[in-house]
Amino acid sequence: MRIQIDGRDVEFEPGETILEVARREGLEIPTLCHDPRLDPAGACRTCLVEVDGWRRMPPSCATKAQDGMVVRTRTERVGRHQRALLALYLADHVQGADACETGAPCELHAMAAKVGAPTDWTPLEPVRVGRDDPNPYIEFRADRCIACARCTRYCAEVEAVTAISLVGRGSKTTIGTVDASSLLDTSCELCGGCIDTCPTGAMTEKRPLLQLAPPERQLEKVRTTCNYCGVGCQLDLNVDPATKKIVKITSPPVGTPPNDGNLCVKGRFAYEFVEHPDRLTTPLVRGEDGALREASWDEALDRAARGLMGVKERYGADALGFVSSSRCTMEENYLVQKLSRAAFGTNNCHQCAAT
Amino acid sequence: MARHPKDRAHILERVQALGGLTPGVAQQVARETGVPEAEVYGAASFFHLLASPDTKVRVCTGLSCQLGGASGVLAAARAAGWPVEEVSCLAACDRPPAVMRERDVFVEVTAEDVARADGWASLTSRAEPSLDWTGAVGPVDADPDTLAMNLLAPPRYDGAALARSLELGAEAIVDRIEASGLQGRGGAGFPAHIKWRGVRQQAETARYVVLNADEGEPGTFKDREVMLRRPDLVVEGLAIAARAVGADDVYLYVRGEFGAPWRALEAAIERLAGPLDGLRFHLHAGHGAYICGEETALLEALEGKRGMPRLKPPFPTEHGLWGAPTLIHNVETIACVPGIVERGGDWFRALGRTEPGSKLYCVSGHVARPGTYELPLGVSLDELVEAAGGYVGTLRAFSPGGASSGFLPASERGTPLDFKHLAKAGSMLGSAGVVVLNDEADLGFAVREQLRFFEVESCGQCAPCRIGTRFLREAVDQYRDQHRDGGKPRLRQVAEAAWEMNEGSICGLGQAAPLPLTTVLDNFPEVFGADPD
Ligand SMILES: Cc1cc2nc3c(=O)[nH]c(=O)nc-3n(C[C@H](O)[C@H](O)[C@H](O)COP(=O)(O)O)c2cc1C
Ligand code: SF4
Ligand code: SF4
Ligand code: SF4
Ligand code: FES
Ligand code: FES
Repeated sequence: MRIQIDGRDVEFEPGETILEVARREGLEIPTLCHDPRLDPAGACRTCLVEVDGWRRMPPSCATKAQDGMVVRTRTERVGRHQRALLALYLADHVQGADACETGAPCELHAMAAKVGAPTDWTPLEPVRVGRDDPNPYIEFRADRCIACARCTRYCAEVEAVTAISLVGRGSKTTIGTVDASSLLDTSCELCGGCIDTCPTGAMTEKRPLLQLAPPERQLEKVRTTCNYCGVGCQLDLNVDPATKKIVKITSPPVGTPPNDGNLCVKGRFAYEFVEHPDRLTTPLVRGEDGALREASWDEALDRAARGLMGVKERYGADALGFVSSSRCTMEENYLVQKLSRAAFGTNNCHQCAAT
Repeated sequence: MARHPKDRAHILERVQALGGLTPGVAQQVARETGVPEAEVYGAASFFHLLASPDTKVRVCTGLSCQLGGASGVLAAARAAGWPVEEVSCLAACDRPPAVMRERDVFVEVTAEDVARADGWASLTSRAEPSLDWTGAVGPVDADPDTLAMNLLAPPRYDGAALARSLELGAEAIVDRIEASGLQGRGGAGFPAHIKWRGVRQQAETARYVVLNADEGEPGTFKDREVMLRRPDLVVEGLAIAARAVGADDVYLYVRGEFGAPWRALEAAIERLAGPLDGLRFHLHAGHGAYICGEETALLEALEGKRGMPRLKPPFPTEHGLWGAPTLIHNVETIACVPGIVERGGDWFRALGRTEPGSKLYCVSGHVARPGTYELPLGVSLDELVEAAGGYVGTLRAFSPGGASSGFLPASERGTPLDFKHLAKAGSMLGSAGVVVLNDEADLGFAVREQLRFFEVESCGQCAPCRIGTRFLREAVDQYRDQHRDGGKPRLRQVAEAAWEMNEGSICGLGQAAPLPLTTVLDNFPEVFGADPD
């Protein structure tokens, strides 16, 4: 089956949306409420396109391609719509990208610049109200919220938690919790996925704001593997280039394996151990006096190997057992069982999450 | 998890039974139903009758009630220190001002009524103490054979039309509906038979019929009058529709402000129990949200969710209540059905002048006898107002079909009030809630009030409407308030915002919301002066 988009003849699979087909073809269509992990909402209206024979412009994110459809994404009407819509969004938003983007970059400002939206529309009186929430990790800033409901849909559809919801009606519509309670008093798992999916920085990390850290745009991203469990989620340390300290952790773009933009509370928020004074940064070995002292890796490994070999010589290999941690990656777990079976010759190996 | 999607349908009712959204209520309902507490809270917070339980008195500040002195009543209630708020049209515009005390609607309330009351709980209306009030209907001297509904005739509970429909069989009924040319009376004027056939041809056999009794378009109150005076027509019409499309369950969504119509429907269902024979009727109350009159928002509310319209397509005929094929109609559309079945499609068609059928016109504002008048579809404003006892003062402007139809100048007084001609005039028949303004009315204020209505009643789902309605209202406020922004409206921005609201909004609310302003800019250039930019 084929559709035509901007003059190109394109093959598609049944069930694909216009947006999916267009993106596969490298055609850019602006979106705000779209997240490929979620069911389409069709609510932000940025992705409207023209379809020949349709009176109204349908949202490409929520409209399935149909055989023979002729789609136009770059017409005068589409452009006028994008400019006016973004001008309205801007009038209802924190004025100016610099003032707005104290946390994550705001897709709204970037998109407005890209489509050439007028920026001089009279700003509106702020009407949305947030809530005080003493939870340590997540801050909701109602003045930046565009009610795209990505956060609530993420929470329901990906996390299956539903701690947050759209609340109120009309121009006051915003995001809230039951009885405006703290996330700590809801079913929230503090996964931070709502932050990750939020296009504007309305849902954001609280600590960098309290620490007056530089905005995300100025941070260096260091890709690494989470060391909390064997899934091996990819994450980005966001490092302040001046202090070389971690400001926050974000997830790589949706589509990056294995975690597709998702993280859990540990991976996203529990990074302060990195700077903790109790953290071991070199191996320690016990001296003659029984006290621990710093040692090199070579010395420490020699000592461990000697001890293990000694047990094997005296009592046989099955006197040894190897237990690895669920905080090791899959590759590390593989190596531990290899060590157990191949180097020491015992099947006594176990991983703490295996039972 | 909710045990069955239908369990969730009752969460709003439960919140109401617990006194509205006070702390702990959403959690309790969540525990009882298995629906996540944030969802219960989010859904209930959408409906103003649930969301502000401390408000006990609500004064309608819709345009017709404003013309009838609502602001004086509101001021008196505020001065008395009552827990009072403004509320959108209560479908009592023919007897203004309307005031709600908890869920009871009183009409023709005066500031003296407020002063006389011993606290808000004892507020009544001296002019109309009953809660079972009705409005004026007419024309009184009409030949009953020219009326499809005839609101002055007593109700009939013999089930004759239903019996006739069973003789005819489903296909012949739909043929009659097609021959009648019946167009939906809820606002869009869509040919009824296409929806009936659409539901009939679905493969899915679980199907529903839904009655849209959420009448909330400012200036509109005809459905109220039909339910109060001829509930027999509504119940029988629904039963015929259910038999024709193969549904066993009929849902009646009645706005929460309609206590008396609810009771009338309930009684009629009971009296017709014999002929209804096994059809199940389910009454559901609304909880204060104009947008739930939009059919897909209504379906969401019936399912216990926030009343946010769905994307169309798919249409309800294919994917309606709980995803099943659903026939949804306005009260008046359904009330036309028994007559069409009994007397034939041609008879009904001939009752209209420019389009098929007789039509209930609501008229309020500056006329002598505001009320509901059944006239040939396509009469002019002058003819309608003549039936309503004539103009009060000199005609300046009128809204032919509620707030969503904008304002037309007096020069359109001869235009047929039908779907086609009003669309051509840049307006619409909509729900036929005609509001008449004379030359003493402040048209700028009227525009402002209509824009405010849309701002408050927007579901908030899509940006063109959620932001656009506020943008237009603030622009008009700036113009009218000489102290801000030099009193200059941003007319170029306003025109572009209005264009975008029409192009980009999901549903008819946002698409039509700019009309009160744009029609006045076009038809009454003096109101907002020339473009200052
Ligand atoms: C904003 C909005 C409000 C509406 N309100 C009502 C209403 O109060 N009552 C009604 O019957 N239809 C209302 N409608 C129209 C319904 O969506 C739908 O077209 C109608 O119920 C179909 O019934 P009909 O074919 O009998 O007219 C509204 C539509 C919109 C867009
Ligand atoms: S942190 Fe996770 S669980 Fe909590 S509200 Fe956000 S998405 Fe839902
Ligand atoms: S907080 Fe962010 S993701 Fe959630 S609705 Fe607002 S803008 Fe969208
Ligand atoms: S147009 Fe308005 S009422 Fe309709 S879906 Fe959009 S926000 Fe809701
Ligand atoms: S991305 Fe399609 S409507 Fe928001
Ligand atoms: S009841 Fe007040 S305007 Fe309709």
